Amino acid sequence: MSGAPARHGAVLALDAWGALLARDLRAFVRSRAQWTSSLLFPLMLLAVVGIGVSEGLDPSRVRDGDYVSFLVPGIIVMTALFSSTFSSASFYQDRDSGMLKVFLASPHTPAEILAGKSLGAIAIGSLQALLILGVAAAIPAIDLAWQHGVVPSLLLAVLAVLLLNVLLSGLAQVLASRIRTMQGFHLVMNLVLFPLLFFSGAFFPLDDLPRWLYALALIDPLTYAVDLLQLALYAEGSAGYLGSGIDLALLGSLAFVLFAWGLRRHPIME
Amino acid sequence: MTDSSPSTTAVSVRDLTVEYGERAALDGVSLDVARGGVFGLMGPNGSGKSTLLSVVAGLREPQRGEVRILGDGPSPAVRRRVGVVFQESCLDPLMTLQETLSLHGRLFGIGGGELRGRVEQALERFGLAGRAREPVRALSGGLKRRLQLARALLPEPELLLLDEPTTGLDPDWRRAFWELLRTSLTPTWRSPLSLGEAEGPGVREQSSPRLKSLGYEQEGKAALTVLLATNDVLEAERECDAVAFLHDGRLVAQGTPEELKHGLKHDSVRLWCSNGIATALSNEIAAWPGVGAVTASGQVLHVTVDDVHAFVPRLFQAGGDGIRSLRIETSTLEDAYFRIARTGLSAEDETS
Repeated sequence: MSGAPARHGAVLALDAWGALLARDLRAFVRSRAQWTSSLLFPLMLLAVVGIGVSEGLDPSRVRDGDYVSFLVPGIIVMTALFSSTFSSASFYQDRDSGMLKVFLASPHTPAEILAGKSLGAIAIGSLQALLILGVAAAIPAIDLAWQHGVVPSLLLAVLAVLLLNVLLSGLAQVLASRIRTMQGFHLVMNLVLFPLLFFSGAFFPLDDLPRWLYALALIDPLTYAVDLLQLALYAEGSAGYLGSGIDLALLGSLAFVLFAWGLRRHPIME
Repeated sequence: MTDSSPSTTAVSVRDLTVEYGERAALDGVSLDVARGGVFGLMGPNGSGKSTLLSVVAGLREPQRGEVRILGDGPSPAVRRRVGVVFQESCLDPLMTLQETLSLHGRLFGIGGGELRGRVEQALERFGLAGRAREPVRALSGGLKRRLQLARALLPEPELLLLDEPTTGLDPDWRRAFWELLRTSLTPTWRSPLSLGEAEGPGVREQSSPRLKSLGYEQEGKAALTVLLATNDVLEAERECDAVAFLHDGRLVAQGTPEELKHGLKHDSVRLWCSNGIATALSNEIAAWPGVGAVTASGQVLHVTVDDVHAFVPRLFQAGGDGIRSLRIETSTLEDAYFRIARTGLSAEDETS
């Protein structure tokens, strides 16, 4: 008889997910270059672009002309986006090192293995995004409104970040099942995600955009994450925003659909 | 063909076909792997060995055919009883040895104190305990192979798939690899004479089918079945109880190494004759049944024969005192391999 004990079904899968998640988190912590650069870049952008626009350009469309504070939700989305993309690329590292074969030869379905791998990307992307929020909240010059109260607003922000990372992880999985090389994956992710980021309202308010650009923003899933984070952290009211209910419903359903679709894809093994 | 009942057969494959686009990597392969021995898959590069292993490992679905593994169809539940050592190292260079084994154990549902115990034991058994906290990237090729074997054996599988596991290893490491595999997994056998446990080097070096045929009874855990893909003919001859030759995705021969060598006129005798009899003896020998090529070089003859045991007595009858000395060279699995490969190629040439 086999010496492996008889853990079955959900317990076996949960344990495997825990193991895969712990492995990816450990690798992330050990990769100093990855976490320092992914934290420093958004903070640098926040400082350079935020202060630059506040001082030099016309920031009249944002509250009190404080573009740095306005930029915080957008920078959080951008951090999640970069981090999640980077972590999702570990799929290729595991494929090229052969680890993916080892995982797939274990007593789990490919979907369970992909879900476990995705958990790492979601956790790392979320942690980094929330770290940026923590740093931003600690800077006295940044004025966050926390309109629902600090704890409820924070919970809403955490939910937004988690849903965003689930969505990004699903998108990465769908792309990884079609694109053979890591270079190609990064290229396509950047090609898809950069325009999505620019049209999401991360860098400028949507309400005074031309109609065609506003229409583009509405079909951009990142718009709802930015809107939700702005409502949770930056906005003093809901006027001029899409609304938390719409954001949660659309972001949540899209994240669920994309994630489920991604798990159904077969990974490219060669 | 062996009995393909689940109790005696570890892997049973019927009419297995795997296609990569237009090319058939496996083309209607059928074979049975008996439980409790080492079964070798041989064949040139691209013959389908690794593809067959990947189907058994559950990494690839065949287009046609049936696979039974330890009595069941391919499924995650069956994979719990199967270990794999892949051709490539398949290790995360940034993880430590301990983390590598722990992760694998957890994927196989082993946790807590049992996992810690097994990891510790595996590191000890494979001589890796002193390096448990080092990253994998610090290991030599030989140690990486050890770690892979330790990882594959951690869940105590019933079937172990080895895909060219000793490729790139020097002879010392190669021997160490097989010794580790044999000594750590050979079950205890009880002698038919009830003399107590029949352990010891003599018994451990015997294959399971051979011990069974001698009346030994296995004790303790079930014997491990090893399905080995290799290009190393000497390794296959030394380690395998049975061998299948694949060529271009098709099974071209299957049997024990002895069976596969049978019929080769490659047992050969080199003899040194006294002056004057070499030519006459050469002519006489060439006419005997079961004799293949006879070549003469001065007073030295080289003769290939079907059955060296029948040939030598007759040779002394014919040559008498004229034979000064002789040397017998028996055929190897390598000879069988080349003959079968040539047969496969020439058959294809004829059909194309």
